Amino acid sequence: MNPIAIGVFIVIALLTLGSGIMVVTVRNIIHSALWLIASFIGVAALYLLMEAEFLAVVQILVYAGAVSILVLFAIMLTRQVTGEGVRVVFERWWVALLIALGLFGVIVPTLWKHGATWEEAAKLAQVGPAPVEGAANSLQVATATEIGRSFMGEYLLPFEVVSVLLLMALIGAVVIAYEERTRRRRVLTLAEELALKKRGIVEPRDAEGAVVPREAEAAVILLDSEQA
Amino acid sequence: MADALTQLGFASWLSVLIASIIKVTLILVGGSVGMMFLTWYERRSISYMQDRRGPNRVGPQGLLQPISEAIKTMTKEDATPRDADKIVHFLAPVVMLGATVLSFAVIPWGRMFPVDLNAAVLFVIATGGLHSIGMMMAGWGSNNKFALLGGMRGVAQLISYEIPQVMAIIPVVLMTGSMSLQKIVEAQNDFAGLGWYVFSPVGLLGFALFFTASLAEGERTPFDIPEADSEIIAGYMTEYSGMKFAVFYLSNYMSNLAVCFITATLYLGGGNGPGVDALGGIAGGLLSLIYFLLKSFALFFVMVLIRATVPRLRVDQLMSFAWKFLLPLVLVNILSASFWVALLRWDQQWPKLTEWFGAPSTADATNWGRLAIAIVLTLLINAGAVALIMRLTNRNVQKHLYTTDEELALGLS
Amino acid sequence: MTLSHLATEDVFVVERNDADFRGGQGMTKGLGIVFRKFRKALFGKPNSDRADTEGQFNVQYPEERLAIPEAYRNMPILLYDDATGHELCTSCFQCERICPPQVIHITQAKDPATGKPVPAAAKFVLEYDTCMSCGYCAEVCPFDAIKMDHDFELSTANHPELDVDYNRLLRPVSYYETIAPTMWSEVKEQAMKKLQNNIKRRPGDIGRDHGQKIKGGAPVAAAATPAAGAAPAAGAAKPRGPVAAIGKNMSEDKTAKLLAIRAANAAKRGGGAADAAPVAQAAPVVETVADAPAAASAAPTGPVAAIGQNMSEDKRAKLEAIRAAKRAQRGE
Repeated sequence: MNPIAIGVFIVIALLTLGSGIMVVTVRNIIHSALWLIASFIGVAALYLLMEAEFLAVVQILVYAGAVSILVLFAIMLTRQVTGEGVRVVFERWWVALLIALGLFGVIVPTLWKHGATWEEAAKLAQVGPAPVEGAANSLQVATATEIGRSFMGEYLLPFEVVSVLLLMALIGAVVIAYEERTRRRRVLTLAEELALKKRGIVEPRDAEGAVVPREAEAAVILLDSEQA
Repeated sequence: MADALTQLGFASWLSVLIASIIKVTLILVGGSVGMMFLTWYERRSISYMQDRRGPNRVGPQGLLQPISEAIKTMTKEDATPRDADKIVHFLAPVVMLGATVLSFAVIPWGRMFPVDLNAAVLFVIATGGLHSIGMMMAGWGSNNKFALLGGMRGVAQLISYEIPQVMAIIPVVLMTGSMSLQKIVEAQNDFAGLGWYVFSPVGLLGFALFFTASLAEGERTPFDIPEADSEIIAGYMTEYSGMKFAVFYLSNYMSNLAVCFITATLYLGGGNGPGVDALGGIAGGLLSLIYFLLKSFALFFVMVLIRATVPRLRVDQLMSFAWKFLLPLVLVNILSASFWVALLRWDQQWPKLTEWFGAPSTADATNWGRLAIAIVLTLLINAGAVALIMRLTNRNVQKHLYTTDEELALGLS
Repeated sequence: MTLSHLATEDVFVVERNDADFRGGQGMTKGLGIVFRKFRKALFGKPNSDRADTEGQFNVQYPEERLAIPEAYRNMPILLYDDATGHELCTSCFQCERICPPQVIHITQAKDPATGKPVPAAAKFVLEYDTCMSCGYCAEVCPFDAIKMDHDFELSTANHPELDVDYNRLLRPVSYYETIAPTMWSEVKEQAMKKLQNNIKRRPGDIGRDHGQKIKGGAPVAAAATPAAGAAPAAGAAKPRGPVAAIGKNMSEDKTAKLLAIRAANAAKRGGGAADAAPVAQAAPVVETVADAPAAASAAPTGPVAAIGQNMSEDKRAKLEAIRAAKRAQRGE
């Protein structure tokens, strides 16, 4: 590694860590989400520094570009955004600490174990010609081809399980949204109203001319949706 | 460039640094000059479409108009709303511009590639996706209802259209076998520099879909609902003035420029054209740059033409267009792209197939035959899909024209 | 809102072409139309006929100008005879009377020997800023002395300049002939005849020397435009009015006020002694006030707005004096 790369690495790593700390300490929840985005981008930059371009790009595309935006959406649509009174530390902070330590305990040994392999790979890459086909499989994990191969080969089952999980989430979202939607009555367009008239169907209306829902339940649901 | 500097006697890290700085400066200058030219170009061409002349006073043919406007915006007051989130409000245009400039890192200028990233195609899309963060920040940080609405609209639109945009690229990646823009450009160099993807059925449909989705990504009319003037003033830019507003503008136009460049690279052969290879060297490079710029600006002209013709979509139309029209077509296009690759390149993509059936003969006759079969097949698939989906859309429209009594009673439809 | 009260035939539903295949033909057609417009505007002939909907409509204004119709009217001007330099105006006050926004202010000239009024104007001020270009003055003028000009480039950074005085209003008859030949030919004979009659009733050179001034003086540069004809040169020929006028007028204003206050004080001090003839007492004050603007107008700077401004000041001063007198009467 040349000195520039090391310097850049240190800077990016500090920025990533710093923004990660800001995520959990900042009181304004929107700011917290923005810091999260910053740390995502920092991670992407680290990937890029490790020449895992595909991972870096996907990190930006999926995490910084989409997931964090969904987080922001969720925050803005659900609760008080300027959380001055939001507590940073809750009673059960030790649970979070345990989980974080456990994760750390998993990640660090993995790094330790594979560090030698990666160094070898880096040396091979510096030496010159690309390693033979078989060696590439185990060493260069970062390229799109290799990721694709391992998804479709070695890790097919976990991959499919995760896909099914996402599909379930998708279907669940559709079901919830659809239920919500069916309860709402659509406002008819002029053309639709006219078509109904032509076919002799007239909606029941009250004295002021507003549409009277056919069932009391529908009226209740309408009111509910209006209040919500 | 770094190697040349090292030979001149600089330390290796210094030469890398200097080369990077020079590259970044060139990209920034090229991008901003391109943006300036683009504003002039758009205003002039849309003026002629409306029987006007457009800016033609400052400089020859009004070419210096953008400079005078830059001076104007720089000297304007830079106002920040009292209750705005000051830092977020300040950072939003920076994020927007940063995302746009990032995408210029991989965009080729003719046959000059600033950085040849392996995942360059995805990189461009990803940086485009970062725009949504800037929009969100601008919308939220302004503490203004219109700005927030505009930001929300913009983010929803960007996220929705990112999907067809990314998937429209997959056929190109399949046909090339790489995500590097350089390889994609090289792959389109057959037939004396005219083997552009747009001439194949898969590429044609992909081009149309990608360009449409990119219009939405760049907030161009008819997809400009995040800044719909008649509804929400200027959307997320409502509370911005002076230089910050100019930065938003700069980033918008630079991303439009990037979209044109990328579309030209992916589907129109980038800097390829007749005569580039024959000339070679610096002259060939210049010719390819000219071809590339001509293609890109022709694409931008189409953007302007669309802007002058088509009215803005409604929000629900926008969403149903993305999910009900673009997405199915994009999926079908991936299917026909795989047929295309299977027929023409099985030796490159699937070594197993080659083992079983032998490598495809390189003899001309069979090559042409397979090409013809591939063209007919993909054309049939794509045309059939387009016809089917349009018919379905039409039927949907017809169906929704009437609501039956039962449907009303059920609250359906 | 409901629409159920509407009869079926009240509603127009645009029938879309549902039966045929719709694959963006409409949009393609629209793009084609816009592109044709682009092509015609860029390469085609510029649009000449207003009935034509294509081609370049723009006129590059400072360089290119559309021909102004003869009956176009912008701001009133006064005419004088080219040959003799005699003005056509007889100060009959018809225009001043009819002017809806009341922006014309005329002072009749007097025979210096006898003091009797003669058919010529001594001062003629027109407030261009308030003029509404209705053209009533030109319609009503029995001597065809006031006409509507075609020059519309009157913007200025100096507002008082828009109170245009006699010298800057004057244009030679030949100028009007170039901008409105048929309109002038209809009235020419009659107007010239009336002018000859008027000249007979004027002693000396009254109503003539203004024409001489026009050929020389600085504030008269506007008169150079007649030579340029229908296309007045922009910028260069713009008359730059006397800027000092404001200052002068302001000070006059102040003087008038001061005098009025003094008059009031004097009346108070005078007390019961003044009750006999308060108006008479005020009279000398009025005279003094009236003198000040007269002196000012004689000043070499040539205040444009002299008459209009001074008249109102005059009135104001009078009013002040009368009020002061009344106060004095009531109080003591």
